[in-house]
Amino acid sequence: MPEKLRDNWVRQAWLRQLFALVVLLAIWEAIGRAGMLNPLYLPTPSRIGATLFELFADGRIWPHLEATFSAALGGLALGIAVGIVLGVAAALVPFLAELLEPVMTVLNAVPRVILAPLFVIWLGIGIASKIALSFILVAVLIFFTVFTGIRQVDRRIVERVITLGGDRWALVRHVYLPSVAAWILSNLKIAVGFAFTGALVGEFVAATHGLGYLLSFAQSTYNAALMFAIIAVILAVVLLIFIVAGRLEKYLLRWY
Amino acid sequence: MRAVIGLQQPLSGSVETELARGDVGILFQDDALLPWKRARDNVALGLVFNGVERRKALAEAEAWLARLGLAGFGDRFPRQLSGGQRKRVALAQVLAMKPKLLLMDEPFASLDAIVRARVVKDLVALVELERISVLLVTHDLEEAISLSDEIYLLSQGPRARIIRHYAIPIPRPRDPVLSRTHPAFAPLYEKLWADLSREVDHRAEAA
Repeated sequence: MPEKLRDNWVRQAWLRQLFALVVLLAIWEAIGRAGMLNPLYLPTPSRIGATLFELFADGRIWPHLEATFSAALGGLALGIAVGIVLGVAAALVPFLAELLEPVMTVLNAVPRVILAPLFVIWLGIGIASKIALSFILVAVLIFFTVFTGIRQVDRRIVERVITLGGDRWALVRHVYLPSVAAWILSNLKIAVGFAFTGALVGEFVAATHGLGYLLSFAQSTYNAALMFAIIAVILAVVLLIFIVAGRLEKYLLRWY
Repeated sequence: MRAVIGLQQPLSGSVETELARGDVGILFQDDALLPWKRARDNVALGLVFNGVERRKALAEAEAWLARLGLAGFGDRFPRQLSGGQRKRVALAQVLAMKPKLLLMDEPFASLDAIVRARVVKDLVALVELERISVLLVTHDLEEAISLSDEIYLLSQGPRARIIRHYAIPIPRPRDPVLSRTHPAFAPLYEKLWADLSREVDHRAEAA
């Protein structure tokens, strides 16, 4: 091994991880080619790769990707916005906290995807029911993040700002907003995961488009290769968003 | 102290002062810098609250950091500073407001001895230069004697009251370390310790 490559090998964990993944895929491929795996259940990586390539080559995937993305991002944005508003309101107005907290606690305790069929009845099989499911998943998470966050703001920092002559507005701007932003950012990855869960499960239940719909279509046709290909797409998409969210978090929370 | 600065209403009695609230600065036991603001922005905070234009406030903040030995550290976040440096930033934050009265509640308790001695020395120099009055609460008798002109001994709380007053004849300007070698130091220390012990013992018996 050349000097530089060995250096990288020792230092970069991801190189070793990538290597392990390649080895695993190679073994899988070899066993599959040897005829020891039923392609109906577990197609070879090359077969999955070919299906993946077809999906993109004939452009069949794009409307589905777009549908899932729109639903997830729409639900994410709405969920964060509503979660912040309700969280702040509950933290500031005790009466609202009394009303909201039990509702949110129940919603938090149950798997919220049980609402999926209801949303389909209410909102139809279009994108609205997916956004709604994605939204309810995210909003409850963000509500608790903001609500408990505001209550846990460091008293010493609040007093410091007051003794330096800061008024109520200064407290909101220099203490509460940055704290709330920090908590939301540190939960952003979880929120992204929730948003996609909502969109995909919604599409699973009833839809005409979307990666979730494509998955259930693959299931009904016993097409394991297609399933694996879609799972790979979803993995790639979520991984990409995680990386972006991670970068954002790292930059905005660089003081942390 | 919380009553003097207006964070708390006194249960009884009143605070008589000719100072506006902006003339009183307070330094807490554990520094509470805003973790998401750089040292410079932390120091400028009070100035900005009091209507100083941002750019001017930041320049002034840099100057205060420099006076406290932190020139070039303005860009750091509190997390990137040592305990002593954070304490200096907190000090700069309060001194930048040009207080006439500075309240301190065991402000250096969290620092190790050497850092503490150095921060205290710089603080004393600035306080003497700017002629700021300081009200210091401490359990450290040596610190009390070496820094103060007058000491009030409080009884044990709750409902602590003043039980004794001492005048400290060590001249100014002072070096807080060297003033411990002043001839008046040892006798005062002995007296203060005896009074304090009696108070503590007295309480222990009552309990």
